[in-house]
Amino acid sequence: MIKVLFFGPVASRIGIHQATVAFRSGIRIQDVRDELAAQYPRAFEIVCFAAANGEHVRDMSLPLADDSEVAFMAKFSGG
Amino acid sequence: MKPAVRIQLEDFSVDEEVSAIKTSSMRMGGIATFLGCARDFSEGREVSEISFEAYGSMALSELNRLRTDAVEQFGLLDARLVHRIGTVKGGDNIVLIVAGAEHRAPALEACRWMIDELKQRVPIWKKEITPQGESWVTSHP
Repeated sequence: MIKVLFFGPVASRIGIHQATVAFRSGIRIQDVRDELAAQYPRAFEIVCFAAANGEHVRDMSLPLADDSEVAFMAKFSGG
Repeated sequence: MKPAVRIQLEDFSVDEEVSAIKTSSMRMGGIATFLGCARDFSEGREVSEISFEAYGSMALSELNRLRTDAVEQFGLLDARLVHRIGTVKGGDNIVLIVAGAEHRAPALEACRWMIDELKQRVPIWKKEITPQGESWVTSHP
């Protein structure tokens, strides 16, 4: 299973903070994004950043291991 | 002594953090601080409260990386970063950055750099609660 986390404005639009996506060999972070964006298109309009296991991901073709933790995040506004 | 990098619900003391950085080196000739506070007015409307949410583990690791990068890039002797989460009211402390160097210029420059980078790199989100409703802040001037 891949654990997907949502925070702040993205979580507000989806209505949940966490989801899971079934793991399959070769799955990329882009595949997870595509699957969830189809389910929650309004939330993914504001997604600007992705993370895998707590690290920023810039290459969306990154393959994921089973039990990975992924986050799709809106622009940050701390400080 | 408290850790140099923290994300916490409770308020922090600027004096305590400045005292803490001073103990790290007797070569420190300049200490710069940036204190971010909650405003009770934003974009033409009254703000009752501000609520912060973080991706805790990633935010802490990014803040630690930011500190390491700043120490290396500006030759700091030490740096401390504290960010609050949860709900704050107008005038409350939000974020504190303390940079210590041998001289003032790197301390001041590093302090400015760290708050600018924090806003770009650290997964924390701010929601403004107003009498008219609440909204997530997406811009960070």
